[in-house]
Amino acid sequence: MKVYLSYFKLKFITGLQYRTAAIAGISTQIFFGLVNVLVYIAFYKSGDSNVSMSLSQTITYLWLNQAFLILIFQFYRDTELYELIKSGNLSYELARPQNLYWMWYFKILATRASQAVLRFLPALIFAFLIPIPYKMSLPVSISSFILFVVALFLGTILITAISTLYPIIVIKTLNEKGVVNIFSAFGDILGGLAVPIPFFPKFIAAFSKYLPFQYVSDLPFRIYIGNIGIKDAFNGIFIQLFWIATLILIGYIVLQKLLKNVSVQGG
Amino acid sequence: MKLYIKALKMHIMSELQYKGSFFMSIISQIITFFSYYFVIISLFTKFNNIKGFSLYEVLLCFSIIQFGFAFNEVFARGIDKFDNFIISGKFDQLLLRPKNIILQVLISETDFVKIARLIQSLIVMVIALINLRLEITLLKIFTLILMFISAIIIFFCLFLISASYCFLTVQGLEVRNVLTDGGKQMAQYPIGIFNKGFIFVFTFIVPYAFVNYYPLLYFLGRNNNTIYAFSPLIVFIYLIPCILLFNLGTKKYKSVGS
Amino acid sequence: MSIIEVNNISKSFRIVKKESGLKNSIKSFFKREYKTIEAVKNISFSIDEGEIVGYIGPNGAGKSTTIKILSGILTPNDGKCSINGYTPWLDRKNYVKQIGVVFGQRSQLWWDIPAIDTFSLLKDIYSIGDEDYERVLNELTDKLNLSDILTTPVRQLSLGQRMRLEIAASLLHEPKILFLDEPTIGLDAVSKQLVRDFIKNINKEKKVTIILTTHDMSDIEALAKRIILIGKGSVLYDGSLLKLKNKYASKVNITVTTKDKIRFKKKGLLETTRIKDGYQFVIDSKELNISSFLNYLTQKISIEDVTIENENTDELIVKLYEEYNI
Repeated sequence: MKVYLSYFKLKFITGLQYRTAAIAGISTQIFFGLVNVLVYIAFYKSGDSNVSMSLSQTITYLWLNQAFLILIFQFYRDTELYELIKSGNLSYELARPQNLYWMWYFKILATRASQAVLRFLPALIFAFLIPIPYKMSLPVSISSFILFVVALFLGTILITAISTLYPIIVIKTLNEKGVVNIFSAFGDILGGLAVPIPFFPKFIAAFSKYLPFQYVSDLPFRIYIGNIGIKDAFNGIFIQLFWIATLILIGYIVLQKLLKNVSVQGG
Repeated sequence: MKLYIKALKMHIMSELQYKGSFFMSIISQIITFFSYYFVIISLFTKFNNIKGFSLYEVLLCFSIIQFGFAFNEVFARGIDKFDNFIISGKFDQLLLRPKNIILQVLISETDFVKIARLIQSLIVMVIALINLRLEITLLKIFTLILMFISAIIIFFCLFLISASYCFLTVQGLEVRNVLTDGGKQMAQYPIGIFNKGFIFVFTFIVPYAFVNYYPLLYFLGRNNNTIYAFSPLIVFIYLIPCILLFNLGTKKYKSVGS
Repeated sequence: MSIIEVNNISKSFRIVKKESGLKNSIKSFFKREYKTIEAVKNISFSIDEGEIVGYIGPNGAGKSTTIKILSGILTPNDGKCSINGYTPWLDRKNYVKQIGVVFGQRSQLWWDIPAIDTFSLLKDIYSIGDEDYERVLNELTDKLNLSDILTTPVRQLSLGQRMRLEIAASLLHEPKILFLDEPTIGLDAVSKQLVRDFIKNINKEKKVTIILTTHDMSDIEALAKRIILIGKGSVLYDGSLLKLKNKYASKVNITVTTKDKIRFKKKGLLETTRIKDGYQFVIDSKELNISSFLNYLTQKISIEDVTIENENTDELIVKLYEEYNI
């Protein structure tokens, strides 16, 4: 375990080096957030809606989306890793005494976490300081805030489990542009990054419930704004745990199987 | 122009060297682009208008802007990814050739995968037009064409501006996206739905309103002032300072180096 | 008649001072501190039509800055330059038709498609007429042995094959002046020889004026009669390679195989080392003539074998750099 933590630490420190990128990223995200907020305000002001979220709830959701974007979005790329796999040099990675799955898992987790740490606070501070109606609101209660933190933490674990599947797929396809990109494009839509789940047309919302994506960030954000109550929040967290266990298991087993084939080929 | 077409052929040949990944990328582009109008369609299942604009009116606006953006991505990728030129030193090579720099940048890169976006925006436009059931006059057709062309030009202008920014620094380039991606995000809705301050900025500083708002009002029959029909022409004028800015950047590059 | 005339060219750059630490980077985010470095200062030289000049100097001496100025990529702060009647940084489009540039470390060929397609694009970029293009292409194909590699995607070619194509690409428009920036870097011996022979050939037949920068002294020896040595931004030596050699490379190693023993002192004899079956002498050929030294030796001892080694050019250059403290 200790060695994986040091991978985490190493990648985390590396991630913190990119300050200029972070500053640029924050300003971009803030601008996008602002545009989104304005669009939703225009919609809400144009007549009644039949959506379960109020305007101020929606605005808070949008800001959370922007603030944590780098933590939660599907489209994660470790070009270096993909190149390594594609060029057939996976054997270098195998030469290390650690389990490959956990090595990748912690690398990805650290990259996401380090970048998020740099970005989320400034974005949130901005979102809290701007005037009503653009401003983000506080969580509805202390208990919902605690549950939000727990769910977001688990969401991060979950998204990392999903992202770790991508290099595993690339071992098989040898190309990240195909299945992986398609998979992550769908994941972003169904995870509520394009538009919050309560705005989904009914039939899509109905089947998205049975997929892992909306438990990454939509669940914690809607707990925060009070759109999901305490009881449902516990249910959601339970589903999160289910998906985490399932996806890690799948990834772990598939990777072991694929690696066996790699070594048979003689590498 | 002949030169450009020749270069285009070469790009297609290069691209076809990797057929498999090319078609997979096209599919993933279709889905990514789908997510863009999925947002709009979703929102319209909950609301029936945005500041008086209906779903198909917004989709028309959306398709024009996305078309303009994707057109630049496909055919003028070099200017979009201009930072690569500076970083890799390829810009030096362009300076060694006896042709216009902007032209050379244009022909040096394309991104055919984004054709998926181009075609989808045209499909969205057709669907929107059919459902809008507008009275079509010759001048309206002209206005629509003008809107498409001006959409191409305005993004070309913005890419030129951000390319000029690369001459100053290649660090923190994400800021450029505010101008291009951020602007696109915003301009897929008729600019009129936003606050006055935003409208001011996006009329007089970056003239999106002349691409997707004033001519749109005319096209939809909400305003019969023919000046509105011709308003996209302003974007053509906007091109001039942008080219000058880029040339200034080139000059600075020549005196400062990379 | 000189085709290149460079007069007191200077170029300095302002670069951002970088400091470490969060505090300093925030500070420099708002207020940047600059320092000025003079890349080249007061460089002057003139080159005649049909000359091959080796432009040498250690890394960071200002070589590539000079080449960039001469090829019109950079504008100098100060100075005059006239190349074939043009000032490189003015009237770019017409000037660059006069020159060809090969950067050994950068490619102008399209990676995924055959070089012939890049050539045909260059034909249009330089507005080369059909007939001229045919003629030049045939000639280059012939001389550089390109016929087999023209139609293969570039990425499948070896480094040596690519370099031949790069050189051909920069000569399609028949430039009067050719800048070669490390043209043989990374090439194997056969490719190197081919490239050198070709350069010699076009210089002789077409009177192309060539400026060659390289770290490979054997390039210079094979091609350039004249060298310009640059260090810390200034010209340190401009003249023939031979003279330079005579001036600095006067040390000669003489290894003698003999069974006899000898011990003597002589003016110009710098070192005597006893080796396995003989001696090794280092003499200064300016003070002591080699043949007279050998004569002297044969009188004293019976010699079975002799080898004489001049100091090679690489060592000469190292010495030169040391001498000029660069």
